[in-house]
Amino acid sequence: MSKISLEVIQPTKCKVNDDYDHVIIPGVDGDFGISENHTPFITKIRPGILQLFLGNKLDKYAIHDGFVTVDNNQVTIVCDVIEQENEINLKRAESSKERAEKRLKTISGEIDFRRAEHALKRSLVRLGLGKN
Amino acid sequence: MANIKEIKTRIESVRSTKQITNAMKMVAAANLRKAQDRIIKARPYADHINTMLRSIKFKNATNLHSLIADVEEVGKSAVIVVTSDRGLCGSFNYQILKEALRYIKQNPDAEIICLGKKGFDYLKKRTDKIIKSYVNLFNEMNFSVSRDVAAQIIDLFLEQNYNKIDVLYNEFKSAIQQNIVVKQLLPIIPSESEEMSTLDYLYEPDEDTIIDELGKKYINVDIWRIMLESSAAEQGARMTAMDSATDNAAELIDTLTLKYNRARQAAITKEIIEIASGAEAIQQ
Repeated sequence: MSKISLEVIQPTKCKVNDDYDHVIIPGVDGDFGISENHTPFITKIRPGILQLFLGNKLDKYAIHDGFVTVDNNQVTIVCDVIEQENEINLKRAESSKERAEKRLKTISGEIDFRRAEHALKRSLVRLGLGKN
Repeated sequence: MANIKEIKTRIESVRSTKQITNAMKMVAAANLRKAQDRIIKARPYADHINTMLRSIKFKNATNLHSLIADVEEVGKSAVIVVTSDRGLCGSFNYQILKEALRYIKQNPDAEIICLGKKGFDYLKKRTDKIIKSYVNLFNEMNFSVSRDVAAQIIDLFLEQNYNKIDVLYNEFKSAIQQNIVVKQLLPIIPSESEEMSTLDYLYEPDEDTIIDELGKKYINVDIWRIMLESSAAEQGARMTAMDSATDNAAELIDTLTLKYNRARQAAITKEIIEIASGAEAIQQ
């Protein structure tokens, strides 16, 4: 079975560079799976969990923003932050969740609201993955 | 005798200065290596975003987003001047500020954004066009700092209706050479790349949203790269400057030691003559 090669590029390093059978990526319009020979495709990522399948192994990463390009069985993700399960700081995620919730109740500006909402989403993703 | 003591104090002070400059040289060399490493690591990210942006611009050439539209000649402009936060790095800041003054002369209406304390301190006395300044950001340099800077610059660009923002910075060439670069930051000009993807991509949600986000990411990474370049160049300049300062100090110590020995010898000779002539006077 042929594979798709996945690369995750961050501004300070290249994190993942491997072949997988199948990947599931959280896109802005919903999670989508990519298997081999997917059509060329560009999309934005929403905070969620990136799942990488290889054989009967499954790697999970928390991912918060960025873009995916699918091009000829080459999947490239550019993002600022990506964390594996064991890298997540649960305490920090918990406190940032509380902070974001508190801010959402008090602030009024649209930009601030969206920022807090995004922070809340990020912390929820981290908690969701970290507690498994 | 006072002279000898003076020289001795002087030698001591030069010696301790030499120790400091030597240590600074070592630190700069280590930081330089780190900065170079970061530049290399940032490259794939920047390249990929550039390719994506180009493929979209290529496809969607008529209806462009304001971040990547072509420059119209009328309107306000701004310039970002990137200097260091600290001194003792040779002509690093002087060169860039000279260029900045020239730029200001040519574009008297351009508003100025300062990145780095040295540039802000220098320019605030010479112009009242500074609208924003960021100081002390090179000490704790990481991507989130540059991301904040980039976000604020993008907001400024969109709010103030600038027709363009230029950036002036030192590019790292080698440890002993820095190049001054003036380039247009906004609107974005995706640079030509060899591997131009001609694939017709599917965009989700839609092209405009993607361009908007991608453009912002591009500026983020561009600012990050510029800060890395500038800091690598700064460390390089500091390393060379401190290296020659150390050499000069060593030379000065040699000259002073020679002087000291001569003075000491002269004093001894003088004393012997005094004793000898005293003894002679007694014998007679």
